[in-house]
Amino acid sequence: MKNTMLGLFRRAVRPVACDTAALGTGAVALRMPDGAAVPPGCVGVVADQGGSTRRLAEGERIVLACHESAFCFHPGPYTVDLLPYAAAPELGLRFSFAVDSPDPRITQQRFDLYLMSEAGDGVPVCGFGAAIEAALQHELALGNMDLPPCTSLDEWNTFRAALNQLCYMRFGVTIEDCVPVDLGERVDYAALLLARAVQAPPDAAAIEPEPIGASVSIDTCERDAPALRRLFLELPGVMCALRLSVLPAGQGQFRQHQALLQRLDQVSLSVATMPTLDLSAPSQSLDRHRQRERARETVRACAALDEAWALLARLQRAPAEQIDALFAEADRIVANLEYHCQARRLALLESEET
Amino acid sequence: MNSLPDSAQCRTMLANGRVATVTATRRPRAGRADVKCSAAGDPALAERMQQVIRLARHTEARLDTRDQVVISIDSAPGRQERDWELAVVLADRQVRGVCQLGEDLLANGWSDQWELGRVDGHTLAGAPAQALLGGPDGLAHLGALTGQPDSAPSVATAHAWFPLHSGGINDSLCRVDVSVYPLAEAGVEEEDTIAAPGLDPVQLLAVRQALAAARHFDARGLGRWRTVVRFAQPRFQGNSFELALVMADRIARGREFVPRGRLIATGCSAAWHAGRVDTVEGQDAKCALLLRQVLAGDRVLLPKAWESTLAPDFAAQLRARGASLACIDRIGII
Repeated sequence: MKNTMLGLFRRAVRPVACDTAALGTGAVALRMPDGAAVPPGCVGVVADQGGSTRRLAEGERIVLACHESAFCFHPGPYTVDLLPYAAAPELGLRFSFAVDSPDPRITQQRFDLYLMSEAGDGVPVCGFGAAIEAALQHELALGNMDLPPCTSLDEWNTFRAALNQLCYMRFGVTIEDCVPVDLGERVDYAALLLARAVQAPPDAAAIEPEPIGASVSIDTCERDAPALRRLFLELPGVMCALRLSVLPAGQGQFRQHQALLQRLDQVSLSVATMPTLDLSAPSQSLDRHRQRERARETVRACAALDEAWALLARLQRAPAEQIDALFAEADRIVANLEYHCQARRLALLESEET
Repeated sequence: MNSLPDSAQCRTMLANGRVATVTATRRPRAGRADVKCSAAGDPALAERMQQVIRLARHTEARLDTRDQVVISIDSAPGRQERDWELAVVLADRQVRGVCQLGEDLLANGWSDQWELGRVDGHTLAGAPAQALLGGPDGLAHLGALTGQPDSAPSVATAHAWFPLHSGGINDSLCRVDVSVYPLAEAGVEEEDTIAAPGLDPVQLLAVRQALAAARHFDARGLGRWRTVVRFAQPRFQGNSFELALVMADRIARGREFVPRGRLIATGCSAAWHAGRVDTVEGQDAKCALLLRQVLAGDRVLLPKAWESTLAPDFAAQLRARGASLACIDRIGII
């Protein structure tokens, strides 16, 4: 009697309803409430506060412990059009990407780490495409990837290989297909230029650097916490990947490798013990202008973190003779990270005289 | 990495006619400021120099906090003068290897929008012929040094270079600029919308025909643009400029991948409307010139017919200097 009652009671526990219709079409991933079920065809990811994740299969009910959060993603594939060069708006790349089945050799899938540190409330497909586009444009501007005019087939294959590796290391997605595409039907460069000519004067005024002491923009300060969170969650991943991806070829390289890892460790410690944005000392608030400066430094450190992921992607494919050059590049990136983290800790600006 | 210079110089002409030398040196930063300026004992000027340099660095993709750049100017310009700004920016870029412009550079220009990479103008009158002057009639945008289109204004301008063979010692790379503006009224003959000041009528016709035919190949180029073509050196013969012209036009119209450095091309075609690239003469002299002149990031395009007769290590030598080579028989994507 009692058993049947319990059975009845258990059947009555319904999954919490939530709208997941966008998954697979308009959104790559969505944040899920406690008690919801993983929708069919999707995969659940539960992340705890410290940075570890576990996966749930479709149909499972999401049960969250304290300080855990859950996401569901649809593996795709998704198709987006990206611009490799901002100056060439009529020529794009049509990407088709998917979240691959998990790689059993690694403990944490890169896409899970991406969800945990950057997803927020969900990952819309267009936002994800914009992030890939920004990473691609930055790599092209640095000259780490080449996509020159009249690309030959060999150059295209090299570019594709580098792009695949970049997307896998930075975002954890696999590129299924990527072809150059003429965007002329949708984008009219002449019309864009005309619109710019009409808007030009207000535009120029908007880009002017803000004078010191002007009203503090809320935006900059609000970007501080997510950027710090990214640094906190992703730096251990960067260190782990750097340790695994290079087998030093001699004593000199071994020392460089060790030094890089140690410095990254220090940066990671510095991030984990970062002072809060709005206090210069316990119970002494910091003025808003300095708060904004601090937030900017965090955002810049985050840009260096993105460069570090891109560098790791290059390290995976690099032949042995390029390792030294890539270590020099890593030295620059770690130096930038150290510099920005140090600047973020400062409460009061020292005089810049040398 | 290690090939970067430790110091770089750039000269500028002051209003009183003296030539001042801006010297930039690079040293480990060691916790100091990223830019340090000294200006002949004028702290206000030094502060302005530092501000200009920091603003101009906003347009660079690569950030390196390990170095400090120390910049000095050997004779102080007047209080109201601003023409030295371009020289300071270029010296700062050269010492960090962002651009390579040669030792003997004289540059004058000022800007209110360094953070966008624009150069607004210059005040120097009676400049020497080889001087690099800022402003709409000279260097309007820092990206133009490597041929990149300026992404902000309503005029798209792109640049390309082609080798001019004039018998050995005088061989040089000639620059061609293509500026395109949106065309207001439709239904105009394409060739009437293309202007090329300074060219004689025969060459103007050649330019117009090449561009109009190449846009025909593009399917979306016709009837949308008003075009101005400028050659840095308008006196030349032959039609080997056509490929450079067509590529600059495609980049300006936003329909081609953008090279990181300069685009250097030689080639012509009897059938631009089909996108074909034909061979031109003077292979040995032009290849020798290219090997002398090419810089890191440059993209070299040669006709496909040259591929079999190129020196076996030509491509490797270009690659060793940071440039890339493609031998093409047609334009367009891949």
